[in-house]
Amino acid sequence: MMITFPRMGPLHVVLAGLLADLGAGVVVPPPVSKETLEIGTKYSPETACLPFKIGIGNFIQAIEQGADTVITCGGVGPCRLGYYAEVQKNILQELGYRAEFLVVEPSAASVWRTLKRLAGGRSWRQVAGAFRLAGAKLAALDELERAVCYVRPREARPGQGDAVRDQAVRELERAGSAAAVGKIAEEYRAALAGVPTDKAAEPLKVGLVGEIYVMLEPYVNQDIMRRLGRLGVEVRPTLLLGDYVRTHVLRNYRSVRCAADITAKAARYLAHPVGGHGVKSIGHAVAMGQERYDGMVHVFPFTCMPEVIARNILPKVSREEGLPVLSLAFDEQSGEAGIATRLEAFVDLLGYRRSRLS
Amino acid sequence: MSVKVGIPRALLYYYHGDAWREFFRLLGAEPVVSGETTQATVAAGGGVDEVCLPVKVFFGHACELAGKVDYLFVPRIISLGAGQYSCPKMMGLPDLLKACYDGLPPLLDMTVRWSRLGPWPAVAEIGRRLGKPAPAALWAWYRANRQGAGPAEASGAGGGPAAGPRVALVGHPYLLRDRQVSMDILRKLRGMGVRLLLADAASAGDLPCFADRLPKKIFWHYCRKLAGAALALLHAAAPPDGLVFVTSFSCGPDSLIGEIIKSRAAERGVPFLLLTVDEHTAEAGFVTRLEAFVDMLSRRNRL
Repeated sequence: MMITFPRMGPLHVVLAGLLADLGAGVVVPPPVSKETLEIGTKYSPETACLPFKIGIGNFIQAIEQGADTVITCGGVGPCRLGYYAEVQKNILQELGYRAEFLVVEPSAASVWRTLKRLAGGRSWRQVAGAFRLAGAKLAALDELERAVCYVRPREARPGQGDAVRDQAVRELERAGSAAAVGKIAEEYRAALAGVPTDKAAEPLKVGLVGEIYVMLEPYVNQDIMRRLGRLGVEVRPTLLLGDYVRTHVLRNYRSVRCAADITAKAARYLAHPVGGHGVKSIGHAVAMGQERYDGMVHVFPFTCMPEVIARNILPKVSREEGLPVLSLAFDEQSGEAGIATRLEAFVDLLGYRRSRLS
Repeated sequence: MSVKVGIPRALLYYYHGDAWREFFRLLGAEPVVSGETTQATVAAGGGVDEVCLPVKVFFGHACELAGKVDYLFVPRIISLGAGQYSCPKMMGLPDLLKACYDGLPPLLDMTVRWSRLGPWPAVAEIGRRLGKPAPAALWAWYRANRQGAGPAEASGAGGGPAAGPRVALVGHPYLLRDRQVSMDILRKLRGMGVRLLLADAASAGDLPCFADRLPKKIFWHYCRKLAGAALALLHAAAPPDGLVFVTSFSCGPDSLIGEIIKSRAAERGVPFLLLTVDEHTAEAGFVTRLEAFVDMLSRRNRL
């Protein structure tokens, strides 16, 4: 069995290792590129959302490199993600690609079935070890991402923090044990702390909210976190991969409580979850307004149902909570210049606003 | 004078309108339904970004009612079946309306969740808001639904000369039955001599189970019905000569379900036409494509 999966930000760092440790051959799809997007757009329904299209592109590219099995997630709605697998399977079949789909539905039975299929011959200890390693990588990745967000607007020479981060991600990809991950995390924590920074600087503080795929996949979001960092903004991403896994997969008590708090904050504007992260985008806006953030950037795939609702409610939240908000929809037509211009203008306005307020 | 409750003639009105009107009447309120959709309705609803046309139309109707009624009925319909949802936009409809428009009358925006016993908490809440005791509200709801909760308007299916091609028309009733939104597609197709097989959910109440034969259950209530009806037609002993799927631009569920229907149609050898409508849809382009499709079907039948 040669297994592949959809790409999403640093997901492959964790998932490739996990699947290999469970005993499967792994084909990591090539990084999302223009070609991935072109393949995906060509074979997907026109108004399907961007992660769907990129998924199709990932799968086809991986199958052409020898994958024969696709592992992906199911879901129970109302976001379209839950129905992706069914339609993607159909499309690949019609195109004549032969690939088995392992769809992990959010139920214990489904997880169990998939696990048995993947790791049939492994002992409990080995399976537990594989998951522990994946968990350690997730935690290290999250920490690294947050740390580099702090360094970017302060570093003396732009790009130093990112160089450390990229090197760390490459090493994490290769790490074979939780202890090794711990060592890498330790080492790079020190390396990032050692990057010369302007300690007195008080960069603009901007929250990043929205749909997880667009938030995490740098090819899709035009590398928005780095871009904002270079513009002198300290980005606070509200949802990284590890956060997502802790809240939605492991249902870690603290993370779930946190998510519930954010949902409660949104209640005045959006009284019921609408699938995806829609209600959290609103809740975070309220929280960031209260915490006196300088601004917030909201990103989502074009036609994303939950985020379109958030996008239309955010102007009101922005007015009433005193938080400048920039909503950006991304699709296969999104151009670099357009995004760069809008981000620059937004950051300029935030700088002006801060100087006027102080 | 009785309390006036405005019901926008859009979205789920086309599924549940009769029951809603009857319910408010029995409760002693005066239901006021907005008029047919016009160009002005669409323009008035255009103040929201990136949402689908039916939602904009809904907002247009809400604006039309705004000055004329005491309450606006905008229920938040979460689910109408176990493990099912309406769609995210319907779930956020009241909030969206409140965020985008000022000066609206108070909304009757109760949350409707599926339960075996019916939507009684929402019904009781409406009663409370209108100053009626819960039992009276529940009794009114029961009676309104007993009298048949069919589609809001006569289906108008069938008809046409016996010789024309049989075309299955698939789409949500709030598209097909809204003459402005659908460019009056029902009449246009009939005018072309087509024998129409209507597969919108309202006319296919008894056929939802067909969708459950799909490997994965569709978790959008209305799309499940729609797909069920379409698949039932496609898998009938005599499948239609062609299938027209009408959807609105940026409808999330339809973008995936349409793909499923399309591939089933291809399997059954049924030509498939996808028509996407939004507020910029021009009638000429729409008609040209319909005519070309029907011509093709007629010629195919003659061969």
